[in-house]
Amino acid sequence: MHTTHNEHPMPAEMRAWLVCKRCLAPCKDRNLSKGEYLRCGRCHAQLKSFKQGNSFNPLWAFSSTALICMVLANTYPILNFEVAGKSQQNLILTGIQSLWSEGFGLIAALVFFCTIVAPTIYLGALWYMGGACTLEARWPGLRLAAKTAAMLESLNLLPVFAVACIVSVVKLRTIGNVTWDMGAFWIGAASLFTLLSMQAHNSGQIEIQLEQSQ
Amino acid sequence: MTDRTRIAVSRALLASAVILYLPANAIPVMTISLPGQVDDLTVLGGVEELYTSGLVPVAGIVFLASILVPFLKILALAWLHALQGSDRQRRARLIIHGFLAKVGTWAMIDIFLLSVLTAVGQLGVLASVQPREGAFFFCALILSTYFSAEVYKPHLIWQESPAEAR
Repeated sequence: MHTTHNEHPMPAEMRAWLVCKRCLAPCKDRNLSKGEYLRCGRCHAQLKSFKQGNSFNPLWAFSSTALICMVLANTYPILNFEVAGKSQQNLILTGIQSLWSEGFGLIAALVFFCTIVAPTIYLGALWYMGGACTLEARWPGLRLAAKTAAMLESLNLLPVFAVACIVSVVKLRTIGNVTWDMGAFWIGAASLFTLLSMQAHNSGQIEIQLEQSQ
Repeated sequence: MTDRTRIAVSRALLASAVILYLPANAIPVMTISLPGQVDDLTVLGGVEELYTSGLVPVAGIVFLASILVPFLKILALAWLHALQGSDRQRRARLIIHGFLAKVGTWAMIDIFLLSVLTAVGQLGVLASVQPREGAFFFCALILSTYFSAEVYKPHLIWQESPAEAR
């Protein structure tokens, strides 16, 4: 096991074993000082870092903001497309509806899942864990929330959708007039706060907190 | 799911992805109708159109996400499976696996683009965008590569031999 800075040996009986989530190698646990972190000796994945103060606050704050932005992103139109005086607006849902009505139900379902369902459930799970860890409370279903977040992390494609919106505007400008609407701003904000939530989400630290609360 | 099943499922999905790659890129994903002009666009055709319109950076993004990423994912997965059970280049394989997990879903950009264009392209004879069958193949390709990488867990890289997979 690799550590940074100085070693602080503990009595052998107090040492526990951690299992690396990436390569399943057993790694010996120990208390950490400021600036230290534990890495798996086999795959070098970070297993644990020093927790200073209430480090779950950013996770709770970012996920709350992202959830609010998600609601607004789904409420306001993203863009307005105009050709020869005729115009059309779109929401995230209108794209899904259009695909559905054109007979592309499976693709509509996939877009619906990746842009609305997965990000909402993922952020909800982060918010729930962030809240419980910040308040040091034992809310029910925390393990389920942790599993759900781990499962949905790679399927939360809101940032990809935000880039697709930019690409579509560039493409539509070759055909007619396009103006951004409020929804685009909220999609951008939701994507940004989703990325910040992902950054603040330290699953190893949450796991330790859950074990301590039990 | 046992490790042996994981490897088998991941290989099966990788084989599907190899088969789907050609139709996903050859069959049109959308039809754009403008007055006096109807264009059937494949994924590569869409990139080409953006490029010829002078939108080179956007064409670059779509090319990277929709064509290069699925191709590299297939190559990377094939390499991981080829070295399964051996102790060669484990660190590099782990890095590649991390790359697969991080960039794999960016290929969905083309499907989201289709969803936005279909939503606003409902202006009748003035401008209309219709999804085409190629979108199914493209989605199937993305899902095959995604689940193939998802099922193949990083700890399998440390298995000494196929016989060890249980």
